[in-house]
Amino acid sequence: MEFIILVASSFTKLLDPVVLAYVIAGFIIGTIFSAIPGLTATLALALLLPLTYSLDVTIALMACASIYMAGMCGGSITATTINIPGAPSSMMTALDGYPLQKQGKGALALGHAAIGSMAGGAIGAMLLIGLAPFIAEASLLVQTTGKFSLLAFAMVVIVIAQRGKVIKAAMAACIGLMLATIGLDAMEPVTRFTFGFSSLTAGIDLMPVIIGTFAISEILMQAGAAKEDRKMTEAMSAVKIRRRDFIPPLSSIREIGLACYIKSSLIGYSVGTLPGAGGSMGSFLAYVETVRTSPNPESYGKGNPKGIAASESANNAVCGGALVPMLTFGIPGDPITAIMLGVLVINGIQPGPQLMAGQADLIAPVLASLLFSAVVLIPLTLFLLGPYFIKIVSIRKDILYGSIALLAVVGSYVATYSTFQMMMALVLGVLAYYMRKNDFPVVTMLLGFILGPNLEEFLRRSLALSNGNPMTFFTSLDSLFFVILTLVFVYFLAIKKPLQKPTGAAQSA
Amino acid sequence: MFYFYKKIIFQFLVFIVSVGYLVTAFNIGNPMLDGRLQPSFFPLIIGSLAVLFSGILLFKEWLLVKSGAADSGDESSPYAAPILVLLIFIYILAFSAIGYFIPSALFVFSMMLLFSEKKKIAQKAVISIVIATLGYLVFELLFGVRLPTLRG
Repeated sequence: MEFIILVASSFTKLLDPVVLAYVIAGFIIGTIFSAIPGLTATLALALLLPLTYSLDVTIALMACASIYMAGMCGGSITATTINIPGAPSSMMTALDGYPLQKQGKGALALGHAAIGSMAGGAIGAMLLIGLAPFIAEASLLVQTTGKFSLLAFAMVVIVIAQRGKVIKAAMAACIGLMLATIGLDAMEPVTRFTFGFSSLTAGIDLMPVIIGTFAISEILMQAGAAKEDRKMTEAMSAVKIRRRDFIPPLSSIREIGLACYIKSSLIGYSVGTLPGAGGSMGSFLAYVETVRTSPNPESYGKGNPKGIAASESANNAVCGGALVPMLTFGIPGDPITAIMLGVLVINGIQPGPQLMAGQADLIAPVLASLLFSAVVLIPLTLFLLGPYFIKIVSIRKDILYGSIALLAVVGSYVATYSTFQMMMALVLGVLAYYMRKNDFPVVTMLLGFILGPNLEEFLRRSLALSNGNPMTFFTSLDSLFFVILTLVFVYFLAIKKPLQKPTGAAQSA
Repeated sequence: MFYFYKKIIFQFLVFIVSVGYLVTAFNIGNPMLDGRLQPSFFPLIIGSLAVLFSGILLFKEWLLVKSGAADSGDESSPYAAPILVLLIFIYILAFSAIGYFIPSALFVFSMMLLFSEKKKIAQKAVISIVIATLGYLVFELLFGVRLPTLRG
């Protein structure tokens, strides 16, 4: 209850015009980046990460939270208007959004998407605010062996969540872990894999890894692609949206039903708590569930607003869910929470079980910003900027990528004022580029890099405490719990037959 | 056919790096001393797993190439990415040698040429200067980052 009161009182921070400006700017940047096909909110956050050095950590995290929320709903703009999801999480929205656009009801579809996002985002944030303190308290019970098993569980889930390319995901995780072992050993004065480069003694900084993985590799990917997607530009110029059409009639919202919003949000939230699952899996499962339980399943994929509501509620509820493992255990579930974790690390704050207990006053405003973004900024942005969305996302590619490249390269300099970090970002960007070209999930590499040091530390400590006996992982209750949980997840995610995508989804994906 | 080989070259490089990592991990020292884990223990596990996974991937790719069933090549320009890597490399060197402004404006200009047709050069040059100036304002003035100058 104390924490809920703290979050409620944190809303007053938003009355500060500077804080509010950062939160709103973050939301608008997140919306624009997620709306433009090829760009993502993750890229926006990676580019803005260097700027958090000069910001107060609370303001930086509040802006991150609003970018996160915007990133989940912004993708629905191009998914609905031109059938190209701006973000993977809006893939299912395109199924019913675009048919509505073809019927001349594109603005209405965007209105339904906004209401779904608002409901999902708010439910996800409220669940996070309500449950996180209890999970944080429970996390304090986890001892050293349990911590290793928990991290190992997270790594396994991150890898097996990449269905169809599990070996590549495992290899990507190994690359991340290999990068994490470069530098001075955490427990003994021994340098590893530095090959005589003194700059590597302190290890590889998180900043060039994030910028290389998400910004530089993205620019390299886009440089190789076609110079101008004429078809997309033509489709965009044909779209006309009027502000008054955005507000869906109450009867239509009633038809969708409160149950659909709540159920989809709960699905999204639960999926979000799993490392590596992400918004696209959340919206997919919620959509499939809505179609499965509908009396008119044949109406989906033809412009049923319920499909939009289910998809958007779920993907925005993922935000709340994904912050649970990050805030309570220090385990990021997706790239955005990984970067948010980076903001904490950069500012010298140790993420993990103690975070909620020791730094509740830092975390509470972040959750307030998440809820504020869902309830206020989603509908407000749609209403005020909606008619101009298409013009905004049609920005010239050369200007866009020129600016992004400059921000990315100079941004990597900011961390240590050293050109070595810039070179590091370039090297890691090239690595991530070739990994992406060969269908390796780079997010798994990043999570391996982030979790690697703790994984090693807890493994060594656990075995030191048990005199090298590995049975300690099965005899300690907290560790055994996570070992069993790992086996359960391996069964359901890797062995059991996966759900089939609806036909329409396959077409649009 | 060259595309198939490009894919197998990447898998081969990953395998070689994994083997190199494992060998280096062996050279760090004994994984255990007096019942205590040493700095080489964890890298040895990771290296072994990496060699295993990269070996499987290399073998699978080799089978695909052998059977001719590898997916068709991508249609992206083969030179754009290497040119861009070279541009970024030169930019980083120039950035530390002659400061932020001139290299940044030239870098943005060359990026714009890479991402569009080579028309309206003067307009692009002006836009590049505007972007470099905006970048300066954001980093140096708004966020207090000290960027290098010609005077150091």
